[in-house]
Amino acid sequence: MIRSHRVYRQLADALAQQGIAALRFDYYGTGDSAGDSDEVDWARCLADMVAAAGELRARSGCTRLIGFGARLGGSIALNAAATARLSELLLWDPVMDGGQYVAALDVLQDALRVDPMRFGEPRTREDAAGQWLGFPVGACLRRQLDTWRAAPPPMPVRVFDSMPPTATHDWNVLLGDAVNVTELPTAASWDELDRLEHAILSPDLIRAVGDHLRVAA
Amino acid sequence: MTKERALRFGRAQHLIGVAGLPAAAAPTGSVGIIVLNAGMVYRAGPFRLHVEITRRLNACGYPTLRFDLSTLGDSGASNESQSRAHQIRADVADAMSLLASHAGCTRFVLLGLCSGAQNAHIVTVDEPRVAGAIFLDGYAYRTLGFHLRHYLPRLRSAARWHRFISRKLQAAANQRGDDVFAVSFPPRNQVQRELTAMLDRGLRLHFIYSGGVTRYFNHPRQFRECFGRLADRPEISARLFGGTDHTYALQVDRQRLLQDIEAWLQRNFPTYGGSTA
Repeated sequence: MIRSHRVYRQLADALAQQGIAALRFDYYGTGDSAGDSDEVDWARCLADMVAAAGELRARSGCTRLIGFGARLGGSIALNAAATARLSELLLWDPVMDGGQYVAALDVLQDALRVDPMRFGEPRTREDAAGQWLGFPVGACLRRQLDTWRAAPPPMPVRVFDSMPPTATHDWNVLLGDAVNVTELPTAASWDELDRLEHAILSPDLIRAVGDHLRVAA
Repeated sequence: MTKERALRFGRAQHLIGVAGLPAAAAPTGSVGIIVLNAGMVYRAGPFRLHVEITRRLNACGYPTLRFDLSTLGDSGASNESQSRAHQIRADVADAMSLLASHAGCTRFVLLGLCSGAQNAHIVTVDEPRVAGAIFLDGYAYRTLGFHLRHYLPRLRSAARWHRFISRKLQAAANQRGDDVFAVSFPPRNQVQRELTAMLDRGLRLHFIYSGGVTRYFNHPRQFRECFGRLADRPEISARLFGGTDHTYALQVDRQRLLQDIEAWLQRNFPTYGGSTA
C-alpha cells in the first residue's frame, strides 16, 4: 500500500473529477490505520472492506458501489465483494493463488537479505525471518494466504492486466468466462527488489479505469 | 492512551498529516516531534517507518505529527510562487503551529530521512521554534579517512572486489534516472557554518547514518573528520548503524533505530510522567 498510495490518490482524484465519489482506506495494520504490520489479518481485511463500503454508502448516498483493488487488494475485493454488496469489481493484477504468492514473497525476501545493492554484507536468515519486503508478517496471515484461492464472484469483473509478459495469466480460467480484461501497455514493477521504495505509477491504469466507468455510466 | 487524528491544515488548507496526541497535556515549553517525508514516500514512511517512530514516541509522551509536504502524498499545492526551500519552511511552520494548537508544545524536534534530513536542516537554520533535529542519513562528506577505509580493504580481498564490482554493475543496470532518494549536498563549509550557528543557538542535533550510505560515510570517526571540532561539542552526536540499508527494510534494524531515537530524545528532551519538559 505504501508503494501504491500515489496511484490510488490519483485514481480517486480522477474519479472525483468525473463526478464519482471514491473512498480509499488502509486496512488495520497498514498505512495510517491502527495496528502493527504483523497484525494484518485476512478476515479483518475483509471486514474492513465491508465497513469501508458502508462508510462510502453513508457519506455519498450512492446505491451502486464498485470495488477497485490492486494485487492483494484485488484478492480481498474478490473475497468480500458479495458481503459488501458491490455491483462490479475492477481488479488491477489481482493475486489469484495465495500459495503461489506466499512462495514468491519468500523467494523475494530471501533475495532481499543478500541483495548487494541494499546490504554491504548479506544478512542472516534470522534477521530476515517473518517479514516480506520490509513488513513484518504474522504467522496467521501467512497461513490464511497460503490456503486462499480466488473463486469467480457473483458480479461482473474487469481485470486490468499489467503483469510482465513472463507471467502468464489466463484470467478467464481463473475467474470464469464473464471476466473482461483490459491489457495495459506498461508492466507495473510490483516485485522488483530495487524499486521497493518507489511509488507504483500508472497513467494507463487511471485512464483505463476512467474510460471504463465513463462508458458504463 | 494516544489519540491519532488525521488533519487537513496549512496556510492554504493544502497539507495532510496525522497527529499523535498522548493523553497527558504537554506542559509549557515541551517538545513535539515533526517527521518529514523521506524522498517521495508519503507520510507513513518507507515500510511504515514513520508510523512506527511516531507511535513509539507517543507511547513515551511526545506529541508527534507525520505529514506530507506540499505536492507529496495526500497534500496539494499551496499555489504560491516561491522556491521549494521557502515552501518547505512555510509547510513546516504550518505543521508546528498545528501541533502547538493540538498538543500545547512550543518547541519542536524535526526528524527526517535522506531528503527529509536535508529539509530538516533547511528549516532548522532559521526557525526559532526548532529545539533539535534528528538527521537520518543527513549531510556528511568524503574525507581522506573515508577513502582509505573504502579502498584499502579492497586491495587485499578478492571477495570485496567481486562485491564492489557487482554493486557497480547492478547499479549501472538499474539506472533509470528516477532515484527516489536522490539528493545533492551543499558545500561542506556552508553546512559546517550552519551547524555551528544551530549549536550556538542551543539546539541539540543527532546524526544517524545507515549502512546504506557507505558511498559517502563509512565510520563513526568520519563525522569529526568532516566537521572538525564542531563534532566534539556535547550538543551534537553521531552514530553509524553499519550493516543496515538506507531505509531500514528489516525489522531488527528498525528496532535498533527506534531505540536510538527514543534514547536520544529522552536524554535531551526528557518526558516526565507521559509529558515532555
